[in-house]
Amino acid sequence: MPEDLNWAIGGEAGDGIDSTGKIFAQALSRAGRHVFTSKDFASRIRGGYTAYKVRTAVDRVESVVDRLDILIALTERTIHENEDELHEDSVVIYDGERSTMQDVEVPHGATALEVPLKRLAEDAGGAIMLNVVALGAACEVTNFPIENLDESLQKRFGDKGEAIVENNKTAARKGQEYVQEEFETDDFGYDLETTDADYVLLNGDEAIGMGALAAGCRFYAGYPITPATDIMEYLTGRIDQFGGKVVQAEDELAAINMALGAARAGARSMTATSGPGIDLMTETFGLVATSETPLVICDVMRSGPSTGMPTKQEQGDLDMTLYGGHGEIPRFVVAPTNISECFWKTVEAFNLAEKYQTPVFLVSDLALAVTEQTFSPDTFDMDEVEVERGKVVDEDEVDAWLDEQGRFQAHFATADGVSPRAFPGTTDGAHMTTGLEHDELGRRTEDTDVRIEQVDKRQRKVDTAREQEEFDYREFGDPDADTLVISWGSNEGAMREGLDLLAEEGHDVRFISVPYIFPRPDLTEEVQAAEDVIVVECNATGQFADVIEHDVLERVDRINKYNGVRFKADELAADVKEHLAGDAGTQEVEAE
Amino acid sequence: MSSDVRFTDFKSDKQPTWCPGCGDFGTMNGMMKALAETGNDPDNTFVVAGIGCSGKIGTYMHSYALHGVHGRALPVGIGVKMANPDLEVMVAGGDGDGYSIGAGHFIHAVRRNVDMSYVVMDNRIYGLTKGQASPTSRKDFETATTPEGPKQPPVNPKALALASGATFIAQSFSSNSQRHAEIVQQAIEHDGFGFVNVYSPCVTFNDVDTYDYFRDTIVDLAETDHDADNRDQAKDKILESDKEYMGVLYQDEDSVPFEEREGVEGSMAEIPDGAPEGAMDLVREFY
Repeated sequence: MPEDLNWAIGGEAGDGIDSTGKIFAQALSRAGRHVFTSKDFASRIRGGYTAYKVRTAVDRVESVVDRLDILIALTERTIHENEDELHEDSVVIYDGERSTMQDVEVPHGATALEVPLKRLAEDAGGAIMLNVVALGAACEVTNFPIENLDESLQKRFGDKGEAIVENNKTAARKGQEYVQEEFETDDFGYDLETTDADYVLLNGDEAIGMGALAAGCRFYAGYPITPATDIMEYLTGRIDQFGGKVVQAEDELAAINMALGAARAGARSMTATSGPGIDLMTETFGLVATSETPLVICDVMRSGPSTGMPTKQEQGDLDMTLYGGHGEIPRFVVAPTNISECFWKTVEAFNLAEKYQTPVFLVSDLALAVTEQTFSPDTFDMDEVEVERGKVVDEDEVDAWLDEQGRFQAHFATADGVSPRAFPGTTDGAHMTTGLEHDELGRRTEDTDVRIEQVDKRQRKVDTAREQEEFDYREFGDPDADTLVISWGSNEGAMREGLDLLAEEGHDVRFISVPYIFPRPDLTEEVQAAEDVIVVECNATGQFADVIEHDVLERVDRINKYNGVRFKADELAADVKEHLAGDAGTQEVEAE
Repeated sequence: MSSDVRFTDFKSDKQPTWCPGCGDFGTMNGMMKALAETGNDPDNTFVVAGIGCSGKIGTYMHSYALHGVHGRALPVGIGVKMANPDLEVMVAGGDGDGYSIGAGHFIHAVRRNVDMSYVVMDNRIYGLTKGQASPTSRKDFETATTPEGPKQPPVNPKALALASGATFIAQSFSSNSQRHAEIVQQAIEHDGFGFVNVYSPCVTFNDVDTYDYFRDTIVDLAETDHDADNRDQAKDKILESDKEYMGVLYQDEDSVPFEEREGVEGSMAEIPDGAPEGAMDLVREFY
C-alpha cells in the first residue's frame, strides 16, 4: 500500500461536493494528517461534473498524483471521469439503489462498494445527508476514526442548530455501520493513522487575504471573477474588524481606480482579479506607476485568452503582468510558488508597493487559489510580519520637501528614485498628481529635460530595489546535478515531489523555483553550469522560458502544459525523464 | 481647518490653458469659492478629475488632487473618501468624461451615495479633441464626426441620476457666478453624493449652446415655486427636454452617505508597525 491516500468525491455541481470534501479534509487535518486538495469543476452553478480530491499522508504532501484510492461517486460519470486513476486496490463507494447507478461498472478490478446512501440518510433524518453517509463509509474503509468527522460537521452545520449536527453525526455512523456489517473492511488494506500534530488548512486565495490583513491592508475594491473571488469573500467582514472596507465595484475599471484613490488617501490598498479583469485594469497601470501610487494588484490566473476556461489552470498572464500597459511602467511582479508563500508574498507586496511607490503585481494561479493545504500554524507567525511604509512625511517633516515658494515636491527626483509621500490632510503637503508627465510638483510638463528626469527617477526605483532587496530563488534537489529545472508559480510542489521520483530512478536534478518575475534573480551562472536546462510552466509558449533566454542569452528547453490541468508530480517526473532521454529541444505538447 | 481661508488659496500659480472666454473659468472659480465658503482648506481637500478640458482643473487649483484616466474620476473619488472620510472630496468632469466613457461609473456613484460632490462641466461638445459630438450634443448638432448631427437624442444626466436613486441633483450655469457658487456649496453641504451639472459653454466649437442661448432660456428655480423635496416635481422638471433650469432640482434631506452606512470611521492611513493585535486568530480560524 502507498504511504499516502488519494480520496475523492464527485458528482454534479450543486450536489454539495465542495462542502463534503472540505469536511473530510478538515477532519484529516485535525487528526494531524497532512492534506493537499484539488478541485475539478466546471463553469456552471448546477449540473456538470465536479469533484473534490484529497491527498493525505503523515508526511508532507504538496502536489497531486495520477492515482485515486477511494472514490465516492454520486454519479456514474464520476467513475468515467476518473477511470484512468483507478487501480485494483481502489474502492468506489456509490449508491447502487439509485436508478441511475444500477448498471455501474467499476473498472480496473477496483472494489465496487455499494452503500444505500440515500436510504441510510433518510433513516438518519433526511436524504440530503447522503454525502455524509458516504463519508462515514469512507472512514470505515480507511480505518479512520469516525470521531474525527464530528468537529468538522460541527463547523459546517453548527449555525443550523445542534439537531442538524447530531443528525449528520448519526448519518456518518450509519454509513460506517453498514460497511462494517456488509463487508470485510480489513480487505481494503487502508489505514489512516492519526497524529498529535496541529495543522491549519487553507487555500491560496485565503492565504492572500490573510496576508493582506496581516500587512495592514485597509481597502479592497474588486469585481467577482473566478478564481480570485475567494480573496474578496475572505476579506469581506474580516477587514472591517481592523477598520477597513471591501467595496464591490461595478467593474474592474472602477475597482482598480477605487483602490488607487484609497491608496492616495494613505490606506494600504489592493485589488484582485483574473485575466479578463486584468485586461480591463490595464488602462490604469500606467496611472498607478506615473502618479507613484503604492498599489497591490493581484492576478489569479486561469486559462485564457479571452474568457478561455474560467475554472481551469494556466500560467498564461506572465507577459501581461510583466509588460501590460502602454508606455514604460516601472513595476514589481511577484509570484508565490506555494500556499504559504501566497501569505508571505502578499505581505512583501504591500511593503514593496509603499517603499517604492509603484504598482506591485501579485501573480497567483488557479491551482494555488483553489487548493487547500495543511500547514503548521507557526508557518504564518504574525510576529514575523514587518510593515514598511517607506518615505511617508508628516507635518513636521514636510518642510524639508517644500520648494522656495512653499510647494510640496511630491515627485522630487531623489537619488534613489523614491519621493516623499504626504497623505492628504497633511498640513502644507497639498499637491497635484497626474497621469500626464509632470514636474517635481506634479504639474503637467512637456519640457524635454524634465521628462527625462522624471522617467529616469521612476526607473531608478527598480535599480534601488535591486540593491536593497533580495530577489532570490528557492532551490531543491541536487545542487551539482547536470540537469537544471526552473519553474515559477504553483508548479513547485509537483516538481519537488517529482525530484524524489526522478532520484529513485537515478536521475539527479537541480530544481530552482523562482518567486520573483520582475525584478528577478540572475540565473546566468546556474544555467551555464547545467548541461540540460528545462523551464516548466503551465502555458503553451513558455513565457518564463523566454525571459530566462533573454537574460542568459542561451536557449533553454521547455515543458509546457496547457490543457487546463495543473502538473501532477508523477507526470512531471516522466516528462523530465523523457526530455533527458534524448528529444531535448523539441517542445512537449500535451493536449487532451 | 482655518477660518481665514479665501477662495484664492485654492488657486495654483499655473495659468489655465483654456480658451479665452471658456465657461470652465467660471465653473472652477465657483468650485473654489464654494470650498472656501464651506470652511475647507487646500490641505483637507482632494480634487479628482478625469480627461478633457475639465480634467485640467486639478492643475489650476491648489489642493490634494489627482488627474486620472478618461471617465474614471468617480471611482478614484470614492476610494479617497472611503479611505479618509475626513477629507472633502470633489470630483470634476466633463460631459464626455462623465456621461459617455464614465456613464457606468456615474450611475453607480449616484446609487452608492458616497459623501462627495460631483461637478460636471457640460458644454455639449468635445473640446479638447477639437469639436466632435458629445453625449449631450443636440440630435441635429453638426460636427466633424457627425456632419448631419448625432441622430440620437442627448443623454439626460439628471434623469439618469434620478432613476439611479440620486439624493442631490442640481444644475447651474458657469456665467452666473454667484448662483453657481451657491449651488456647488449646497452640493458640498449635502450629506451624500452632490451632483451638479454645470452649463459651461465652449466658445470655440459650440455655436449653438452658447452663453446667449443659456442666458436667454435658463430659469432659476429659486425664482419659481419649485419644491426640491418633492421627487415628482423634480422628475417633471428634469424630463422637460425643452427647458433649462438652474438650482437644486432634487434633494433628499434624509440622505445617509454610503461610508456612514458602512460604518467607516476615520482615516485608514494609520496602521500598526507589524501584524495587527490578535492576528494569530486569523490563522486559528483555519483549524
